[in-house]
Amino acid sequence: MSATAIADEAGEYEALLQFIYLAPVGLVQTSLDGEIIFINPISAQLLMPLSQDGGLRNLFTALENVAPDLRHRAVSFDSPQGTVCDAVRIQINAGIPGTSDPKLLSFSLVKMDADRLMAVVSDITQQVKRERLLRQNEAWLNAIMIGVSDYVLASLDRLGRITSCSNSLGPVTGFSAEAVLGQTYSIFSAVDATTPEGLVDRLREADLNGWSLYDGWRIRADGSKFWGSEIIAPLQDQQDDDQAAYCLVLRDITDRREAGENLRRSTSCDHLTSLMNRRAFFEAAQLELQRWHRAPRELSLIMFDADHFKQINDTRGHPAGDAVLRALAASMKAIFRQADIIARVGGEEFVAMLPSTGTAGAKAVATRLLRAVEAQTVAVDGNDIRYTLSAGVATMDAAVSGLDALIKRADIALYEAKRNGRNRVECWSSTRTDDAGA
Amino acid sequence: MLNEFNEAGIAAKLAAMSASEVDTLDFGVIGMDAQTIVRLYNSHESRYAGLAPARVLGQPLFTAVAQCMNNFMVAQRFEDAANGGTSLDETIDYVLTLRMRPIKVKLRLIAEPAHPLRYVLVSRSP
Repeated sequence: MSATAIADEAGEYEALLQFIYLAPVGLVQTSLDGEIIFINPISAQLLMPLSQDGGLRNLFTALENVAPDLRHRAVSFDSPQGTVCDAVRIQINAGIPGTSDPKLLSFSLVKMDADRLMAVVSDITQQVKRERLLRQNEAWLNAIMIGVSDYVLASLDRLGRITSCSNSLGPVTGFSAEAVLGQTYSIFSAVDATTPEGLVDRLREADLNGWSLYDGWRIRADGSKFWGSEIIAPLQDQQDDDQAAYCLVLRDITDRREAGENLRRSTSCDHLTSLMNRRAFFEAAQLELQRWHRAPRELSLIMFDADHFKQINDTRGHPAGDAVLRALAASMKAIFRQADIIARVGGEEFVAMLPSTGTAGAKAVATRLLRAVEAQTVAVDGNDIRYTLSAGVATMDAAVSGLDALIKRADIALYEAKRNGRNRVECWSSTRTDDAGA
Repeated sequence: MLNEFNEAGIAAKLAAMSASEVDTLDFGVIGMDAQTIVRLYNSHESRYAGLAPARVLGQPLFTAVAQCMNNFMVAQRFEDAANGGTSLDETIDYVLTLRMRPIKVKLRLIAEPAHPLRYVLVSRSP
């Protein structure tokens, strides 16, 4: 054998050795009477604190105080090979309430042949703790679910899928439990009112803030709408727990909606068009950008500007101009999804922010709006007014510093559309303009 | 020249030694920094564990090198000393799993607030 081959083999051996040293579960090989032949470090970590004599010669001796029947089980195991015990839980101590958790080991023992036993030991303290918390949550949920009638209480898994719900589901939403179990909570939303990313956003917000609140239209099984108030809260704050669930409470507050809606309208609506006003748009768009920074995904913004609008105002009068803006707002409401944020941000300037939508998708929907507007006539005092629209699209990326920068990109594209003859959509592109990262 | 596992004031002496001098000792020496990263791994220890120093240096001691010591008997003592800002010099009977064989050893655990390195000394002689 060449010197290189020997060196390679030594390296392989060393790597294998380290692999077993680092194994995150305990592995022990013993003779039939428990004398330890091989043992890896995790086993020593778990078993040394149990050892009475300071040594680890015999596995059964080491576990004598916590699993006294082990030796007997191994000895009385008659088959030539097979599983002596599988994932038996061994309680090491009771823990100190509020200070330390009860420590538990999981222990499996397999008889390999007439001479060898193989044991697998792992620390399941955390796992058991999580299971216990989960059981407490279940009990808590069961307790408050009984007798609920005017709101729906549901539990969600990590992905927002409904895992259980109260009996009030039927009276409030018209859905049967079978119809909603396993579905995401967006089953209560209109199809275009939410995106898969938006669904996850609210779960993450609940993780971060302790809750996520939403007031808006919800859908019953028969397609009818009700004004819902919905809160999602995490059931426990263990981030690493893939069992972690959320609690969702959905109330039908249609009766109380009017009062709240009037207030909302006065502070966040544009009076002429009843679209969102500038302030409300910035608030909603900032939240969308925060979500983007937390989990980047496609996000586009479109700036719209009515072409030659000043001319309409000047020649037909302001009431005609107002009618055009109202017609434009109505067209936008018809074409954009509920999940989109649409607003009037200037005189004849409108904006749409499209979650989970890339440049191509945004361009397509902007084009549809342009074609619809182009084909439309606005009747004012017996006169038909026709008008057109220009649009600029920008899509969020890491080079965009914030909302202002994104709007600036869309404005640059909008300017491009105006310059190229109006009644068209242009998309921002880094190659076309110099102030890319503006 | 220092060569006794039990020698008093050993932390200062180890700190003054070069790596090759530490390699001549006939007991294992593992030195870790405040973050428990292994910074010193002498050839005695390397030979018995079957691992070249390159595989061990720069790794966290209790999670990637000597998981067997990651319990209240060893790791906790270092943590307590660090939290309390106190000295640690204790010798305990322990079992290491060198090459997966249970080997009875004496571990001497040493930490001095003033010293950047903390040490686990390993003696295999009974």
